[in-house]
Amino acid sequence: MKKNLLLARANLRKAKGQTVAIVVLVLLSSLMMNLWLMLSLDYKKNFDRCHDKLNDGHVNLAAYSADEEFREFVTGILKENPDVTEVSVTDAFCAPAAFRYAGGEVSQFVVMLEKEAALSREVGKYEIIGEDSSGSGVYVPMLYGTGNNYAVGDTIELTLFGKEFEYTVCGFFNSTMTGSHNCGMLSFLLSGDKFREFSEEDCAVASTYISLRLKDKMQGEEIEASLRKEIAGKFPDITVSGNYYEDITTSRYISQMICAGITSAMAFLVLLIGLVVIASNVVNYIQENMQNLGALKAVGYTGRQLVSSLILQFSGLSAAAAAVGVALSYCIFPAVNEMMIAQTGIPYTVRFLIVPCLITVAFSAGIVAAAVRLSAGKMKKIEPITALRQGITTHNFKKNHVPLEKTRLPLQPALAMKTTLSGLKTNITICVTMLVLSLILVFSGLMYKNMIMDMQPFIDFIAGESADSCININTGREKELLSMLEGDSRVEKFYLFTNNLDAQHVGGVSLMPSAIEDGTKLNNQKLVIEGRFPEYDNEIVIAIKYAREKGLRIGDEITIKIGGKDNDYIITGFSQVTNNLGKDCILTRGGYEKAVSLQNVSYYMDLTDGTDIDAFNSEITERFGSDVNATFNILAVIEATGNVYVSLMTIIVIAILALSGVVIVFVLYLLVRTLLNVKKRDYGILKALGFTTGQLVLQTALSFMPSMTISVAVGIFISMQIVNPLTALFLHGVGIVRCTFEVPLVFNLIAGGVLLLFAFAAACLLSLQIRKITPRALLSGE
Amino acid sequence: MKEILLKTENLSKSFSNGGNLQHVLKNIDLELYKGDFTVIMGASGAGKSTLLYALSGMDTPTIGRITFDGKVISDLSTDGLALFRKAHCGFVFQQVYLIDTMSLLDNVLAAGLLVSKDKKALTARAEELFEKVGIPEETRRKFPTQISGGEAQRAGIVRALINAPEILFADEPTGALNSKAGLDVLDTLTGFHEQGQSVVMVTHDMRSARRGNRILYLKDGAVLGECDLGKYRPDDGERHRKLSGFLSEMGW
Repeated sequence: MKKNLLLARANLRKAKGQTVAIVVLVLLSSLMMNLWLMLSLDYKKNFDRCHDKLNDGHVNLAAYSADEEFREFVTGILKENPDVTEVSVTDAFCAPAAFRYAGGEVSQFVVMLEKEAALSREVGKYEIIGEDSSGSGVYVPMLYGTGNNYAVGDTIELTLFGKEFEYTVCGFFNSTMTGSHNCGMLSFLLSGDKFREFSEEDCAVASTYISLRLKDKMQGEEIEASLRKEIAGKFPDITVSGNYYEDITTSRYISQMICAGITSAMAFLVLLIGLVVIASNVVNYIQENMQNLGALKAVGYTGRQLVSSLILQFSGLSAAAAAVGVALSYCIFPAVNEMMIAQTGIPYTVRFLIVPCLITVAFSAGIVAAAVRLSAGKMKKIEPITALRQGITTHNFKKNHVPLEKTRLPLQPALAMKTTLSGLKTNITICVTMLVLSLILVFSGLMYKNMIMDMQPFIDFIAGESADSCININTGREKELLSMLEGDSRVEKFYLFTNNLDAQHVGGVSLMPSAIEDGTKLNNQKLVIEGRFPEYDNEIVIAIKYAREKGLRIGDEITIKIGGKDNDYIITGFSQVTNNLGKDCILTRGGYEKAVSLQNVSYYMDLTDGTDIDAFNSEITERFGSDVNATFNILAVIEATGNVYVSLMTIIVIAILALSGVVIVFVLYLLVRTLLNVKKRDYGILKALGFTTGQLVLQTALSFMPSMTISVAVGIFISMQIVNPLTALFLHGVGIVRCTFEVPLVFNLIAGGVLLLFAFAAACLLSLQIRKITPRALLSGE
Repeated sequence: MKEILLKTENLSKSFSNGGNLQHVLKNIDLELYKGDFTVIMGASGAGKSTLLYALSGMDTPTIGRITFDGKVISDLSTDGLALFRKAHCGFVFQQVYLIDTMSLLDNVLAAGLLVSKDKKALTARAEELFEKVGIPEETRRKFPTQISGGEAQRAGIVRALINAPEILFADEPTGALNSKAGLDVLDTLTGFHEQGQSVVMVTHDMRSARRGNRILYLKDGAVLGECDLGKYRPDDGERHRKLSGFLSEMGW
């Protein structure tokens, strides 16, 4: 072992440059691996920790009723249910609300609670985070206190039932189940005086907020659905909103899941490059040190010892680099955490986690050891005598690549091409690196095009359907609304799209139906990614994720229980949206109403350019009064939600592009160093013959370009084919099975060109070491 | 009157060796003439090769001036010297230094194409030179490791001459060859010299030295003496005696 250590140390000292480059690659990969592991293993667990700390509900229901009869009925059901362990029932005011956030607007169903009552709840407690002015005003979810949004003392304008209320922000609170607009319902805590004041408003609807904990938290979906069904059976006129544990854990962590997915992919891709570089380095080391290795074998070292010393050298180095990477990941994790909190809205304290650290270091060292073992096999076969006689011939002299008398290439490119064609290992390393970097570029392009430049495709994924405005109105005045919309020149298009209706598939999984009248009118025609929208009342479109899980195909018949009645539908297509974890379905209005009549409907509207959407919505609210249940400025909502994602995606794209730049520079550094070592003599000869440093630098940089250009071209082509399926893989957890994002060809071609230019410039700069090679050094044997 | 091709004034070259400054060449004033076959001799460590590198622009002097055809080359940059070597010099090395991954013809053309773009004419000249040095056609497309040391050195001479340099520098060209191969190489060099090629050769081999018409003897970094042998004639005993006497006088 001591011998191995000495050998390993000697090797490390000899190749400092290569050592640094390998350390950087392993360090980067382990940094991202540890980030990924922390995000995957602990970040989501944090939700459970917070959820348990607050004793938050596994199911939460908010109903527009505070009647004793209603409450008794509900608590009676819950008491009888053996799966329910704890229940809290609190007075509240429910309302559709809108407020400014992240440069846009949040429109959400809100539950207004009295602060002290909220803090003292048994189930679904609220926790004040940070500064508490204890004044008169409102406490808002901490999500809205992140970034440059609200601060204590600011004024928040809440539009409730179309009426504006101004409150001073007294503080922020943590709530796992109602602390974000991704929760289906959002809480606001009013100070005692403001709560009383609000109760006197005309629009205040005394409501009930119920939180319950279950024996098995994963039953939330089923119990929430059955509760809503029972309530609807007894009190059909009472509107109930609800959410459940499983849905919220996912919806609040979409960014974290995307970020973790990208980070893991980047970690493994950089590690792959590192492994190829290490393998190539090992093979070069054996070739360059054949005589030394022969000498060591001659004095009694066994092949196994020599291989072990290399394994020790590289895996030790990798373990050290991984440890540094892990340490660095803790330096940048607070920044990542900030970005994540701006989306999850749940506080997370960065803490040292031993398991991800150990996994990262052990995995990095282990995989490197395996790569070294595989590539150092030749070492065992070295015969001392053969090695001492200058080793094994490695060049294939059977073919003279690019004969100068025949080639049409000018001298420098021709000599560069000779180098290219004689360097198989270099080409393999370049190919792997550039294929990986091309994939990263294409993925960045996809994110840039669909999530940053034009975020509509991404929003379509999250929201399903979007327009300028949405109005939910009681069906009693639907006709009047339609005739008004028809005659209004500001309305370009309007169509029925009523979503989040109650239903249950007989298989036991809730499918949230949307009802439409004419699928062709929807803006997001990609909502149905296979087949077509339902046209007849016995047709249905179901979520592709659900269909895949259940083995359902287009043309199959499916039974959906709506309003207690089983209804059969023929599947005409598959839809895809991250909402409801991809558990949605689309029916025609008639198809839904053959079971239950709709009490209210939502109309989506596209308005002419320049129309003030808020003013338009207010006009409708004014005209139809309490028959309008909610209005949404969808554009503002998209802007608010989108801005958070755009900031996150921009940072991710910049980070992965910067990382790609670092990776390519270090890979090229290693390749150039290796090439200069191998060709030092040749460069000395060429310099003696009159080649200038500039010519040799150009020649060296050019020698990398053919394999780079081919691999970038092939890489971009292949990546463009696989980037959507890969993205779908990342997003599978949130209900995405197939991505149809636009892959921007021009952007990819330009990015590929920039990558090649960057690589060429980097290769030129790195090759400037050639200036240190002098013909005199060659001749005097230095 | 002979035309001066290379001239040195106070040429000195020192190397730092473990903190000590080692003066390898000391104030050498020298003139080399067009058409001469100048041989630089001396014991090991006398500074022969260092002088050759300095004269050929492979290295720069520490002090002093070197002019080629009236132009100062000693203050040229590294790349300036490379351009000078490309334009005016040819080199034959003891270790041959052909590039192993190129055929003999490519080794020659790589040097030739630096100067001329006329690939056809260059290939014809290379074939002609290969013919002259006695390398058969099938060997020209072989790699350096597939041929004998003598063949490789003759290919090295072809490479050195492909650009018709004004001066050919040879550093111990027979040092790594057996007797027969060494003789072939010397005959080749002599043949080209007889056609007007200026040659500067470093050697410590008397058989090689006899090929020159002017012998410079270096000792401790300075030119101790020189001898004019006149035109080379293979069986000229008088010439041989003159060289032996000169070398004996120099303490050889």
